[in-house]
Amino acid sequence: MKTKRSVALLAVLALAILAATAAGTVRAASKATTITIWADQDRKAAVTQLAQTWAASRGVTVNVVVHDFGSIRDDVGTVAAADAPDVIMAAHDWTGQLAANGLVEPIVLSAAQKKQFPTYTLNAFSYGTAIKRLYGVPTQIENIGLVVNTSLVKIPTTFAQLESEALAYKKKKAGNIAIAVQQGTNGDAYHMYPFFSGLGGYIFGTNKAGNLDASDIGVANPKFLKNAKLIDKWNKEGLINSKLDYSTSQNAFLTKKAAFWITGPWNSDTLKKSGLKFKIIQMPKIVYPSVPFLGVQGFMVTKYAADHGVLSVAQDFVTNYMSTAAAQTALANVAGRWPANLSAGKGFSDPVLAQFGKASAGGVPMPNIPQMNNVWTDLGQAWVRSTKGAGAEKASASFKAASRAIADKIG
Amino acid sequence: MSALAAAVERVRSRERARAPRPNLTIKDTWWRHLVGIVAVLVSLFPVWFTVSAAFNRDNSISGTSFWPAHPTTQNFTQILTNTVPDPASTSYVESHFLRWFANTLLIAVITAVLTVLLGALTAYAFSRFRFKGRRIGMTFLLLVQMFPQLLMVVAIYLIVLNVGGIFHFIGLNSYSGLVVVYLGGALGVNAWLLYGFFNTIPTELDESARVDGATPAQIFWGVVLPLALPVLIVVGLISFVSTLNEFVIASAILRTQGHLTLPLGMHQFIDQQYGQRWGPFAAGSLIAAVPAAVLFMSLQKWLVGGLTQGAVKG
Amino acid sequence: MSSTAAASTAAAGAIPKGALGTRAISAFSGTAGRVMKIALLSFSNALAAWAAYVLADRQDWIPLAVLAAVTVAIDVVYLGPRRSLPAKFMIPAGLFMIAFQVVPIVYTVDVAFTNYSIGHIASKAAAIEQIKVTSLQPPANGEQYTMGVARSGGRLVLILQDQTTHKNFVGDGSGLKPLPPGSVKTNALGVVSAQGYTLLKGADLFSLDKTLSTFAVPTTGDKAIRPLTISSAVEMTPTLRYDRKRDAFVRITDGKLFHDDGKGEFVAGNEALEPGWKTTVGFQNFSSILHDPLVRGPFLKIFAWTIVFATSVVFLSFFTGLLLAIALDKRGLRFQRTYRSLILIPWAMPGFISLMIWAGLLNDDFGVVNRMFHLNVPWLFDANWAKVSCVLVSFWLTVPYFFLVSMGALQSIPAELTEAARVDGGSPPQIFRRVTLPLVLVATSPLLIASFAFNFNNFNNIYLLTGGGPTQSGQPIAGSTDILISYTYKLALATGKGQDYGLASAVSIIIFFIVATISAVSFSRTKALENLN
Repeated sequence: MKTKRSVALLAVLALAILAATAAGTVRAASKATTITIWADQDRKAAVTQLAQTWAASRGVTVNVVVHDFGSIRDDVGTVAAADAPDVIMAAHDWTGQLAANGLVEPIVLSAAQKKQFPTYTLNAFSYGTAIKRLYGVPTQIENIGLVVNTSLVKIPTTFAQLESEALAYKKKKAGNIAIAVQQGTNGDAYHMYPFFSGLGGYIFGTNKAGNLDASDIGVANPKFLKNAKLIDKWNKEGLINSKLDYSTSQNAFLTKKAAFWITGPWNSDTLKKSGLKFKIIQMPKIVYPSVPFLGVQGFMVTKYAADHGVLSVAQDFVTNYMSTAAAQTALANVAGRWPANLSAGKGFSDPVLAQFGKASAGGVPMPNIPQMNNVWTDLGQAWVRSTKGAGAEKASASFKAASRAIADKIG
Repeated sequence: MSALAAAVERVRSRERARAPRPNLTIKDTWWRHLVGIVAVLVSLFPVWFTVSAAFNRDNSISGTSFWPAHPTTQNFTQILTNTVPDPASTSYVESHFLRWFANTLLIAVITAVLTVLLGALTAYAFSRFRFKGRRIGMTFLLLVQMFPQLLMVVAIYLIVLNVGGIFHFIGLNSYSGLVVVYLGGALGVNAWLLYGFFNTIPTELDESARVDGATPAQIFWGVVLPLALPVLIVVGLISFVSTLNEFVIASAILRTQGHLTLPLGMHQFIDQQYGQRWGPFAAGSLIAAVPAAVLFMSLQKWLVGGLTQGAVKG
Repeated sequence: MSSTAAASTAAAGAIPKGALGTRAISAFSGTAGRVMKIALLSFSNALAAWAAYVLADRQDWIPLAVLAAVTVAIDVVYLGPRRSLPAKFMIPAGLFMIAFQVVPIVYTVDVAFTNYSIGHIASKAAAIEQIKVTSLQPPANGEQYTMGVARSGGRLVLILQDQTTHKNFVGDGSGLKPLPPGSVKTNALGVVSAQGYTLLKGADLFSLDKTLSTFAVPTTGDKAIRPLTISSAVEMTPTLRYDRKRDAFVRITDGKLFHDDGKGEFVAGNEALEPGWKTTVGFQNFSSILHDPLVRGPFLKIFAWTIVFATSVVFLSFFTGLLLAIALDKRGLRFQRTYRSLILIPWAMPGFISLMIWAGLLNDDFGVVNRMFHLNVPWLFDANWAKVSCVLVSFWLTVPYFFLVSMGALQSIPAELTEAARVDGGSPPQIFRRVTLPLVLVATSPLLIASFAFNFNNFNNIYLLTGGGPTQSGQPIAGSTDILISYTYKLALATGKGQDYGLASAVSIIIFFIVATISAVSFSRTKALENLN
């Protein structure tokens, strides 16, 4: 028994030493300089091609990982460091949250590079309460517009016209929809923003320094509340209904169950292929101009780049390469968004995207401060509650409640 | 009730089975048939419409009808080959159905097997040995399993995140990470269930084996485990199903599309982002549900035993 | 029926068949068993050795000590004396339970007393470093240098060319020195050559990343030229200075002091520097549960609904299941097996699939339910109807279970009892009420409680069906159908309030107590406590 036990002990020890040696060898193997980029499915091919061109010229390698665009913002904070990206595709409204958590690195553009971008796109990616810095290089811009099926209805120039045309079309046939604008159970404050701004609503005011002021919440400001009864009227007559979601709105427009559709450039391919005759305009002024939110997308360098020891390389890719007109044109050609780079924009042509571009006039960049997180759900739900048809809540009450909830959460 | 009483019960039920079938008239039984038919209709209602939607070409929920209006098998092809069209673009939505399915089966099978094995070891120790700290150990077991792991999801997530930062093989996105977390959560309940059962196995059996010179390990593997096999299967199956259905912890640990389990992956199909791809979703549901349902139906008889001990299927 | 009766029935049936399995398994307990034991033990030691190596490399001494102690303890138990016999059987499961059940409980308590949340994730030291980096301001005119990295006498230097004036410099930690015009050649990719210096390229350059990110060439005042990318540099002006003595940041422009407020932030008046850091905040999270109307308000409402939900599901399902069992438990009934099998389908299907299917069928505009029956019920859209839907769907999922157990319970009632009652002149309803029902209840009441405890925490049935929604006006986090457990989940991971781990952990702890009380009641009823001895 004694000998058996010592044999066992020896065997156990031997294996342990073997493992330790193996661990040592694994670690000794060095790695080539590789940067990891998170991009969404649609843009993966284009980003890969661009990144590889850049990488070849610098003598590094790239690894483009497909990541669902909507979850990049949250996942970049929760990913294990080993799998973490060095560069991400980002929407400008994530800037505040990512910067406040120290997840992204500041970026510096030279004077010549800055001149290549509309000022608002750079502001959109800038954040800081005490010190303001730039955190992303804009590559694409987008906004929603009102798509009108011109073979079914006339292009409205006033909101009253839009209202009567839409309602008349709805009455034509059972199952028709007046204005196809998506909300669904969870609400969609983004797609409802033209209605919201047209009634006098705003999200955050700005302070003297020109920064967004999270203590000035305009979700239920007096001007808006004065006009809020229009929402009750629209709900009653069925101009808008919260039960429509993304696919039902899209189907309705494509199958001619709706003559008006509020959507963005991500549907430009669908529109081109649909064979419908259409025109994209900004929604006519309600009481105030019905402007859409402006969205800017771009590239950011994460803090993991510094941990991985590739910060300077990643910065080079984002600031010196993705900012160029050539790279942005290549991206715009596949991704159905207008390029942010001004000279790339000049050389770019796409009839549908150009119409969306025109519909952006006067638009408001989505707030990029982290407090915006608290707004989306509540504002979206306020619309859902007051436009769900029968049993809907009075709009003024619904938006006041949302405003209170947002203020509570921001604290 | 002891094993003896159980044996009596078995004999009695056999006798009942041999008794001549009484002659029932429709007058006695019409209401029984009525209840049965209504119950069957209600049970099958969603199932039927899922089948119909799975074979229907119209993808949206609103296109679902009693009979498929445009019969097709394209939904199955789409879900199996990851080519579910994305209404928002010209490409496909990101889905990895077979991968999700395989992930889920792998995780659930490993969790079930290990839960049973480790649970049985613990239960055996508590049931057969008298040692210092036994009572404390059992009270501990009882207390610990009262806290649902669901409530600790934040802590578990942070632990996996931080530990995984050092040891990737149990970090975020790793199946081994998820399995060890599940094991930690499931062992308390199952060890307790098995303990109750092991107590009903007469110790005389161990005793005689011991007299024959068997070691405790041999008694465990050779005597207790084979006797407990039916219960082990029940516990394993219930653990398998609850792992299969688990959503919260999986959603905290598995972060990227290719790594998801079925509940997480399929949930995205009813989210807006997928534009409600109802047809492929229904097809996927059928593919996923049929094997599980068949397994359950065929092991039904054994499961009832476990269920009457208080195990609840999710 | 005792809780183990049915199981022993199953086991009794298996005894005669066990022989082959017994032999197969016992084959592993002799020499083969010993070999396996050694192999497993070697594997665990090898794993531990590797882990120890990694931990030592990271200088994580405390985890290393724990690891070593645990590993030695395992080896001692399995190779050591007979005395440790019970431990041999308990260690495998014990380790998992401690690691993933006990440690999380302890950790939850720990986090509940911190401000761990968005903006307060890293350590204070990391936050200070991050603030220093973000406080650097590039020049307003956007002037930059084209940069190359070279070694001169073993030291690292930057070769710089001003992009506007094209003047050349060489810089190191001590300062900037001019280089003659024409000595530095540049192109779009950076500095190509510099007279008298050998430029670092490729892997040599990339491997210096961490050095470069802290490299600074001091110029005038606080300013310094810092590398930006692999080929450019910029003169940065710090706007904040960290004062180690006072543990505070000083704003250089106006001398304003940002001091540590004890809550994980540097603040001056209403201005705070970002990011903050994770720190202990005492009972702050618990007091915000008591005082924050957002958290406190819905808590009682949700608690009440959780109880209503669990109770109504259990009772509706039980009585329906019993009714079905009574109707179909008739010997000689035709199609009995068919009915039975089909009724069990909702129970046999994976629950998550059924739930998601129901969510689609109940869609109020396009769902099959409304269209089939020409209804216009806002099943998931209206607060009250959504509650009804939750109960009905959970009911649909649970009935077969109670059908099965009621069937078993009915069959276990000795025929003599009902026979005797009939002889005594009892009418069928009387027999049912006085004899059958009490006996069935005795047999199933532990199951009713277990089912209640299960539904009390039935996250899936709520989350996959309604997501806790629809939302209530003025109530941002809790939806109308949220039960306690889904509410915690939202607080922790899925709300606009962001990931407030501290607060969510505090709420978890409170729910722990509620759930534990219910579990304790359920356990004392199932007589599990009697098994303790």
